[in-house]
Amino acid sequence: MDFIQTTIASFISLIPVTLAQSLILSFVVLGIMIPFRMLSFPDLTSEGAFPLGGCVCGVLLAAGASPLTAISVALIAGFAAGCCTAFIHLRFRIHTLLAGILMMTMLYSVNLRIMGKSNLSVFGSPTVFDWVPFVRPGFPASKIIAVGLIALVVFVLLNLYFKTERGTAVRAVGANPDMAEAQGINVWAATIGGVGLAGAFSALSGAVMVQSQGFADVNMGLGILINGLAALMIGEAIVGKQSVLRQIAAPFVGAIVYYQLVSLCLAAGMPPPDLKLATGLFVLAMLALPSLRRSRGAAPAREAFRE
Amino acid sequence: MLEIRSARKTFYRGQADEKVALNGLDLKLATGEFGVVIGSNGAGKSSMLNAVSGSLSLDSGQILVNGDDVSGLPVHKRAMRLARVFQDPMKGTAASMTVAENMLLADLRSKKRSLRPGLTGTRIAAYRERLSLLGLGLENRLDTRVELLSGGQRQSLSLIMAVGGSPDLLLLDEHTAALDPRTADIVMAATVRAVEQLKLTTLMVTHNMQHAVDFGHRVIMLDAGRVRLEIAGDEKANITVPDLIGHFAVKTDRMLLAS
Repeated sequence: MDFIQTTIASFISLIPVTLAQSLILSFVVLGIMIPFRMLSFPDLTSEGAFPLGGCVCGVLLAAGASPLTAISVALIAGFAAGCCTAFIHLRFRIHTLLAGILMMTMLYSVNLRIMGKSNLSVFGSPTVFDWVPFVRPGFPASKIIAVGLIALVVFVLLNLYFKTERGTAVRAVGANPDMAEAQGINVWAATIGGVGLAGAFSALSGAVMVQSQGFADVNMGLGILINGLAALMIGEAIVGKQSVLRQIAAPFVGAIVYYQLVSLCLAAGMPPPDLKLATGLFVLAMLALPSLRRSRGAAPAREAFRE
Repeated sequence: MLEIRSARKTFYRGQADEKVALNGLDLKLATGEFGVVIGSNGAGKSSMLNAVSGSLSLDSGQILVNGDDVSGLPVHKRAMRLARVFQDPMKGTAASMTVAENMLLADLRSKKRSLRPGLTGTRIAAYRERLSLLGLGLENRLDTRVELLSGGQRQSLSLIMAVGGSPDLLLLDEHTAALDPRTADIVMAATVRAVEQLKLTTLMVTHNMQHAVDFGHRVIMLDAGRVRLEIAGDEKANITVPDLIGHFAVKTDRMLLAS
């Protein structure tokens, strides 16, 4: 009884902090979802774009730039990283996953170069959270309000965009690139733009994270991808993915639920080093579920992703 | 109008399995003309169609649509002028998107895509009306994802998508071959109706001799990457399936003698 009580007590006390963190990380989940679901382009760039955004933001903050400038430049850097991954895939016909691995490996060096050292403290620098009125800066409430607002705006804009003429064309590229091309859609432009956008979201997440935690670290992206995938799977299980609205809501809902679950596990005394194993097993289970449900026979046809 | 001027394409050039797909192919199709292309496997039918649509780049030669050279344009640029129905019903539609969204994509084929909402009320009404012409009930399934439709329904949808917006050139790539006979007849009837109504310049590849006899203004027989025989006018109007197969036999004999 005691165990349950302390677990619940520490879990509840962590809810606001975890919520703030999960809202920040929901942009990475978005950056994973857009290529994966909208473009059928399984992309690993986020593992490099997330720390890229963090490093760029950290260096700029340390140099005295305004927090908004730092975030904007981080966005551009992330966009460029995503574009590079898409270009590597399209131009050299390298598998999307390999293109992503190449990009994130190269980005590690780039990130180190940008910062000049492996971590950088920006504690005390102004952040976007300072601008939230009525709450004391540095508290989870200000982060939840600031990031929640950005998330809401992004959610609404993306939902509108993917229903416009152009947005529909981008989704067609993911659904059937041959058909899209035959319907006059520039597959290159849509893919590069879409994966670039995803990179920008991952970088945004990294930049806001640095402002939230007060330091940048080249290793901050380690495992972010598998966390993001797990969050996406949870989100899709909860809200589904049948419509554009649901598909775009899934990353946000998933991130919020997933990080609360992680917090619950930690509160229950799960050793943090085991977390990645648990997350990995969870993602594996979610991905394996459809094939287990279908039959016990031969493995069903693989999902048709671009090669 | 479509004009193919001495188109050449060789696959695996210089290798042991070198294959000449198009060997100086010339073809001219007047505006509003319906050409039916037949020929055995490997005669170059698909290569020709791919060269016209842009998914295959020629070694030499030119493709002209309405007098403009499109040889150097990529597929998505040529799509402004031409539409294509593929043999595989899966290929011509976006499976995970709805019927209405697919119609929208086709609707925008030759237009500039804007940031305005895609599926507006007026558009949906127009799509409903166009789909109702098929008589397959697709007009009531605008919000159904295309992957839930049957092969025949998907192919009919592809056809409606292709003929919408009256393209300068319509390419039909054995578009009834993957369907059961009854559905094939429905799709073929819809094709002929659309082509005649809109007076579309059409190039249809088929293996179905009956279709070659029944439809089109001209039969074009390909062999070894070039046009071997063209039948038009009265001769085309009076030709029968045995006649056509006879031509095939002659050609096959010649091929045997040549080899």
